Amino acid sequence: MNSFFKILITVPALLLNIACSGSMKNTKSLNVKIYGNCEMCEKTIEGAANVKNEVSLDWNKDSKMAMLSFDSAKTNVDVVLKRVAHAGYDNEKFLAPDDAYSKLPSCCQYVRSAKNISQVAVVNTQKETVETQLDSSKKIVEVNQLILVANSYFELKNDLIQANSSSAAAKSATLSQVLSSVKMDNLSSAQHVVWMKVYKKLIAASESISKSKDIEAQRTQFIVLSENMHELVKVAQLEFTVYYQHCPMYNDGKGADWLSLEKGIKNPYYGSQMLTCGSTTETIK
Amino acid sequence: MNFFKSIFIVALFFSNASFAQKMVRYDLFVRDTIVNFAGKEKHAYSVNGQIPMPELHFTEGDTAEIYVHNELSTETSIHWHGLILPNEQDGVPYLTTAPIKAHSTHLYSFPIVQNGTYWYHSHTGLQEQIGMYGAFIIHKREEQKIPEYTMILSDWTNMKPFEVHRRLHSANDWSAIKKAGIQKGAVQSYADAILDGSFGIKLKNEWKRMLAMDVSDVYYDKFLTNGKEEDMAPQFKAGDKVRLRVINGSSSTYFWLKYAGGKIAVVASDGIDVEPVEVDRLIIAVAEIYDVIVTIPSDSTAFEFLATSEDRIRSTSLWLGSGIKQLASPLKPLKYFKGMEMMNDMIKMDGNLDDMGMNMSLQQMDMNVVMYPEITGENKNKNDGPSDMDNRYNSNALSDIVTLNYSMLKSPVKTVLPEAKTQVYNFELTGNMSRYVWSINNKTVSETDKILIKKGENVRIIIYNNSMMRHPMHLHGHFFRVVNGQGDYSPLKNVLDIMPMETDTIEFAATESGDWFFHCHILYHMMSGMGRIFSYENSLPNPQLPDPQKALRKLYKDDREFHFMFQNDFASNGNDGEMMFMNTRWNLQAEWRLGYHDMHGYEVETHFGRYIGKMQWLFPYVGVDYRYRKLGMDEVEKNVFGQTNTKDKRQALCIGIQYTLPMLIIADARFDSDGKFRLQMMREDIPLSKRLRMSLMYNSDLEYMAGLKYIVTNKFSLSTHYDSDMGFGGGFTFNY
Repeated sequence: MNSFFKILITVPALLLNIACSGSMKNTKSLNVKIYGNCEMCEKTIEGAANVKNEVSLDWNKDSKMAMLSFDSAKTNVDVVLKRVAHAGYDNEKFLAPDDAYSKLPSCCQYVRSAKNISQVAVVNTQKETVETQLDSSKKIVEVNQLILVANSYFELKNDLIQANSSSAAAKSATLSQVLSSVKMDNLSSAQHVVWMKVYKKLIAASESISKSKDIEAQRTQFIVLSENMHELVKVAQLEFTVYYQHCPMYNDGKGADWLSLEKGIKNPYYGSQMLTCGSTTETIK
Repeated sequence: MNFFKSIFIVALFFSNASFAQKMVRYDLFVRDTIVNFAGKEKHAYSVNGQIPMPELHFTEGDTAEIYVHNELSTETSIHWHGLILPNEQDGVPYLTTAPIKAHSTHLYSFPIVQNGTYWYHSHTGLQEQIGMYGAFIIHKREEQKIPEYTMILSDWTNMKPFEVHRRLHSANDWSAIKKAGIQKGAVQSYADAILDGSFGIKLKNEWKRMLAMDVSDVYYDKFLTNGKEEDMAPQFKAGDKVRLRVINGSSSTYFWLKYAGGKIAVVASDGIDVEPVEVDRLIIAVAEIYDVIVTIPSDSTAFEFLATSEDRIRSTSLWLGSGIKQLASPLKPLKYFKGMEMMNDMIKMDGNLDDMGMNMSLQQMDMNVVMYPEITGENKNKNDGPSDMDNRYNSNALSDIVTLNYSMLKSPVKTVLPEAKTQVYNFELTGNMSRYVWSINNKTVSETDKILIKKGENVRIIIYNNSMMRHPMHLHGHFFRVVNGQGDYSPLKNVLDIMPMETDTIEFAATESGDWFFHCHILYHMMSGMGRIFSYENSLPNPQLPDPQKALRKLYKDDREFHFMFQNDFASNGNDGEMMFMNTRWNLQAEWRLGYHDMHGYEVETHFGRYIGKMQWLFPYVGVDYRYRKLGMDEVEKNVFGQTNTKDKRQALCIGIQYTLPMLIIADARFDSDGKFRLQMMREDIPLSKRLRMSLMYNSDLEYMAGLKYIVTNKFSLSTHYDSDMGFGGGFTFNY
């Protein structure tokens, strides 16, 4: 009986021993490219990649290169880099899912130069972030500048629907950047008139949203932003349809408006609380 | 000369005819093979040396001539899923078609009278699970050429399908333990519940006699796209609109479909065109088919088309385009305890489901959204929930992710049935997880007669799912209209996914003849008897089945099958074990406790009984007991009723009744031929943690037992228990 228990205890202890002593075998090492910005990125990237006794990755934020060592019997480069991309970081093999990227804290929203950006069409589908388009400065001249402004606005609106105030702040900072980089000389005369009227209000509202962390304060400013964007969009010749939508309840029953690319209502003032509250009041083609 | 002329003309005529009506021949060689899909060499079936079976292509108007050469030493069959064809070509062995015996060849021959994406698979036993599925593509006669690709999904387990099936019937939770290795909390043990702050929910679950909630029954080692974990289609270029023919050829896995390159436009379902509808994602039921169009947004990138199993344990991908890989975001793990909380609200004490007045249908209200982090947030704490109570399970109202549901499908043409008498049938989908019994109106295929229908009439079926799992119901040889609010433009389908608590109406015109199967397409549910046979009155005899009565008995054998399970605890103080041989209703059980010497005694109890009712909580039985035990001098055994027992050797007949109480406690009351009465309470397999199980027993003979078991593999556990007869002991438990 006693010996039986001894065995019962020794066997797991032995197993434990074997498991612990196993350091990384069949080690392979190589350098891989991973995009990112800062120390926070480093933490996330390494956290996503590393597995005890299987993978060890050391990323350098300046060179954007990482030293990757792994046990080739247990895993491979693709598996590790896929995990890194799922955490939001583009690398030499994989591009991060867009929503994983957009969930990164604003300081970590690195320039996605690996992501293929080419056509104006992407603005339509809202697939690309404004940053990457700014990056490829050559193409921007040919692009209607106001499309970039509008696109930036829609990204902000989407964050408000999600009630994601930190991301909204970041998007709003981008918006004010885009606004101040608009070259007035390239605007038509009709656009120029409206631009002079709304420019300051747009900048003020977007900056105020970017500095706030309170979703309700941001939404209040978004009313002003949307009213003036509406003026601008009417003359912007955007090449795609925009819907002007109205929520009768917000702002203590005074109502509020916003612009959307989709006909279906997704209310940026209430988000999931009352997502489908509202109606389309104007269709701008 | 004239003669030659006429021959020439005749020949011309024939060549013309063959142009219009092309004969397309395929030869399929079915063989045993060894594959390694998930790290181990396993037996599977290949056709023409490949898994999945070859992709067959036809054009509407062709005549198919398909020779199946069975090189196996067992019989097989092929069913042409979704095809309109003569009854004897349908390929359900013993029901419509002769089985293809070992080492023989069978010819299937039928005209192709439709177009679209279909598939074919074995309809014999569990062969479909290990390789016998393939795509069956029928092109339109004048088809607009656009780039296309076929994606046939399947599930692979290293366990033999026979074992999978047997273990499902013995409520073995090894599959949940395997899942928990990938996703914490999948076992839904007490420890998991406490860590989640949901212990109360778990207890209420057990109070309502629910085992751990399963989103899918089987643990799969791999999911495959065209037989590969990842498939590549690098040929596509920026701007291409690609028609993906997505076929779910798996045996029991639903998949979520997502695309990294933008929206998915659904253009056909189960082979039949629908008005294009754009969505962000859709779920594809077992055996269901969707044709979708996706756009390749840019060059030098491969975009992921991601198929994730409904339990979100694993996924498989197709990469469209070439270059750096753009990932779709993976689905986050399910919030199991949110799901259990929801089930607590929905299930009544008698085991029936209560939809709380929400008329649920057509996948519009998905109760499971409470478990989806991407829809209802990742917040684990009790939130106040959405303010809009009517929409609280409506995925599309809760988020900006557009999910396809059946109400969004619309036929481009009118699908109104001809004016005729309509027969209405009400089917309640029934079943219970713990004994893995699946049925319609609480009757399996073999427990019911065929449903007689008349050619020329219309058949309407109102289906209510009163079980806790979703079921993809499939009708052979017909398309039904899904009555989904699109009026005259209701879509046509042949597989309908129906979620728990939903009520859906389908209808079809009875235009054929012969016998047609209507069944749940989850392979293990079908094999358990979840189906019905629609039989046309006054059909001509089927030449392939000379003895229809005998053939039918063969078919019924599937769901009458008995399953065997065995368990023995080899402990330091004796052997404790049980054995069961059971089917849908009957169970022959034996339990034994064998000590190592006479003082500890030897005891064997055998029961034979029948489960009563839909939930099968009640189990009356008759049995035989044998016991030998040497009592000490002047020692007398006494029970709580004051009845005494001094016999060393005892043989007795007994009758008794078992009933499953709330908290899953089995109460067992019995009388034996010595006039003794015994009442026993027992609970086995209390899930303390992922691998730790506890059992407790107490009875009116003042015997008691408490045990702990640590599950090491699917066959072995370390165990220890204290028993009032045999004292304290430890050892290991073997189960089969």
